[in-house]
Amino acid sequence: MRSPKRIGRMSAPGRKVRLATAAMLLVATTVTACGDGKDDGEKASAPKAPATIPELTKDPLTLSFIWFDWPPAKALEAFANAEYKKERPNATIKVNTVPNANWHDAMFTQFAARKTDFDIAVLDSQHIGEAVTNGNILDLTDFVKENIDVAAYNPYLLAAYGQFPQAETGKRDENASLYGLPLLGDTWTMIYRKDLIGDKPPQTWDQMIAAAEKCQADNPGVSGLAFHQANGSDAAAVTYNTVNGVYGGNLWDSKTRKIDGVINDAAGQEAMDVLVNKMKPLTAKGSGNWFIDEVNAAVAQGKACIAFNWIAASGGLLDPKQSTLGTTREQILDKLGFATLPSQKTNLVPLGGMGMHVSAYSATANQTEALNFMKWFERADVQKKWAAAGGVPSRTDALESPEFLNAGPFNQVYTDSVPRMRDMWNVPEYARLVDIENTNVNAALNGAKKPKDALDDIAKEQQSVLDSSSRKGGGGL
Amino acid sequence: MSEPVPLTTDHPGQVASATPPAPGRSRRLSDRWLAVTFISPAMLLLLAMSVFPLLWALYLSFTDYSATRGGPANFIGFGNYTAILTSAQVHTRALTTLIYVVGAVGLQTVLGFGIAYLISRRTHGRGVLTTLFLVPMMLSPVVVGLFWRFMLDAQFGVVNSMLGSIGLGQVEWLTRQRTALLSLIVVDTWQWTPFIMLIALAGLTAVPKYLYEAASIDRASEWFRFRTITLPLVWPLLLIAVMFRAIEAFRLFDLVYILTNGGPGVSTETLSFHIYKVAFLGFNTGTASAYGILMVLVVIVLTQFYLRYLNKLKEG
Repeated sequence: MRSPKRIGRMSAPGRKVRLATAAMLLVATTVTACGDGKDDGEKASAPKAPATIPELTKDPLTLSFIWFDWPPAKALEAFANAEYKKERPNATIKVNTVPNANWHDAMFTQFAARKTDFDIAVLDSQHIGEAVTNGNILDLTDFVKENIDVAAYNPYLLAAYGQFPQAETGKRDENASLYGLPLLGDTWTMIYRKDLIGDKPPQTWDQMIAAAEKCQADNPGVSGLAFHQANGSDAAAVTYNTVNGVYGGNLWDSKTRKIDGVINDAAGQEAMDVLVNKMKPLTAKGSGNWFIDEVNAAVAQGKACIAFNWIAASGGLLDPKQSTLGTTREQILDKLGFATLPSQKTNLVPLGGMGMHVSAYSATANQTEALNFMKWFERADVQKKWAAAGGVPSRTDALESPEFLNAGPFNQVYTDSVPRMRDMWNVPEYARLVDIENTNVNAALNGAKKPKDALDDIAKEQQSVLDSSSRKGGGGL
Repeated sequence: MSEPVPLTTDHPGQVASATPPAPGRSRRLSDRWLAVTFISPAMLLLLAMSVFPLLWALYLSFTDYSATRGGPANFIGFGNYTAILTSAQVHTRALTTLIYVVGAVGLQTVLGFGIAYLISRRTHGRGVLTTLFLVPMMLSPVVVGLFWRFMLDAQFGVVNSMLGSIGLGQVEWLTRQRTALLSLIVVDTWQWTPFIMLIALAGLTAVPKYLYEAASIDRASEWFRFRTITLPLVWPLLLIAVMFRAIEAFRLFDLVYILTNGGPGVSTETLSFHIYKVAFLGFNTGTASAYGILMVLVVIVLTQFYLRYLNKLKEG
């Protein structure tokens, strides 16, 4: 007969066996999950793409992009499948989209896993530094030299969507490496109600504010201004940066990596004061979380005299199904005007748009196809077709072509704005810098912080991020 | 004649082991090994999906590792923990989280118990009412967040529209410091009051009827019966519901992400939302791991105190 003790309790050797088994399982799990650790130990750097395109596969292949969900993403997929397939019938283009707020995370969490389900990442220009430093995208310098006519572009556009380290505003460093090529150019356009403030758009920022003020007073229920104020993505940050640029401010001194004392200098303070105390009172109540869609909705519903939005997101404004301003495109255009941003102390405008970047973790056949697609896409004839399909090209000849200029009433605005563009910081710390600016500008716009305090906090916190590389622990707080 | 098989043992699960192994069965295929073999897949899954990530996060919390930057995970001791515990940014989020937890769970407890008490007094339609009240709890927090975001919109939201129709002005629910946190509390309360209600209802229906009958004979007032019979008997169960809700509320992320994105500024950023930013905006994996471990420790320690109190209450 077995003793109860024997039945009820495991013997010492039995316990050891179980403990050993559990430990082995844990070790096995750890080893499996961590791989060989080689990736972690190696210093990251962007691998080079070949100068010439290797032989393309004849097998069916899906070339995947990742972008955020907005009309240009749908336009790209339709355009590429219609046109690129003529040359490469075995290739299918798939543009995967995520909500704008998840765009950065969706790409960089896959980069972190060293495995991507996309071949071409559509990165914001400011993401390039982070991706290059981590070795996530291919170095295209040699490929561009062999395959792309760089003289066909405004040098700054080519630099903004591909160069790292970041170029000085308006310039390109020809000795710097290129990691991407332009996909979609963009900047802000001023959208104004011709029927309410007149056909001639305001020329200066002061005039613009005065016109919005008068329009709001004359038209009850219509707010003077509509612009991005949300604390997600780069919404409120781009708004402040735009006003900062117009009033002669700077975001940082890139050579000395100095932000504190630069962004919050007298010009920066004046810009914040204009934004919070002169522009914000002219916006609709509760508009403190508005971004692209909300601004468009306000314009389409006739609730704003003057609005600012990205050109690439403005196409829907001309759709009578989405607008209360008219039953035809022409009727809407009788009421809506599109103009370049007013100037004040400078005529700077924000650089928007994105470039194409090849994932370092994509299969070789897909990387080769991606390079071939990019070479095809940057051809003069394709750029004009892209313009006609609703895209914003980057080649100068396409920007000045009738295909582009006649495709939309705001396209002339883009062409005129190209020499006036300024970008944000293109550094690995971009995501944190923009979050600090977004949350503080949003706080100032919504009364949670005084404008001066918000600007000083931006300067202090951003400087701390840039200076934190030597800090032991607590990075990211 | 074979020996009788015992019907029970100290451990019912061992009954089968009293039957001798079939002749010729390998020693390795004993019942114990069979049990281990069957349990192993589940154990492996548990280790891979739960135990390993926790231990790995614990290890990373002592390093400066970044998931995107690659490179070695340098050991920095308690650097991350010290930085988190002394950070003014973290203190702000902790205070926001505390206000949120106390506000939301307090409101849910009062409302949930109130509704349960009223339902328990009904004899007809109790089942239908209970089911209807449970509907919000069955929805995804993201869906709840999205439709409340529309309802609370200052320009075209139905809430302001209703306020306007009774002559009250527009309220900026999601874009003002005070109203944004209040909105989060209200939405969370709308969704999770049914949980407290359900538990309280279970407690209320378990109160023996003879106690009320005895109280009635003694002509005890309604308030006296509630204070001396209902509340003391339901209280322990209600406290368990409060504990579950407090733990849930403490790690709130989804509603904040959808409704306010932490704004205006950072005024509705909770600790979980802050961890998300640390982990995925700057990919400071080491810091985020330490932050997460600290949150787990806080929950464990507070829960232990709470459970001790509950045990004392039970013993009393």
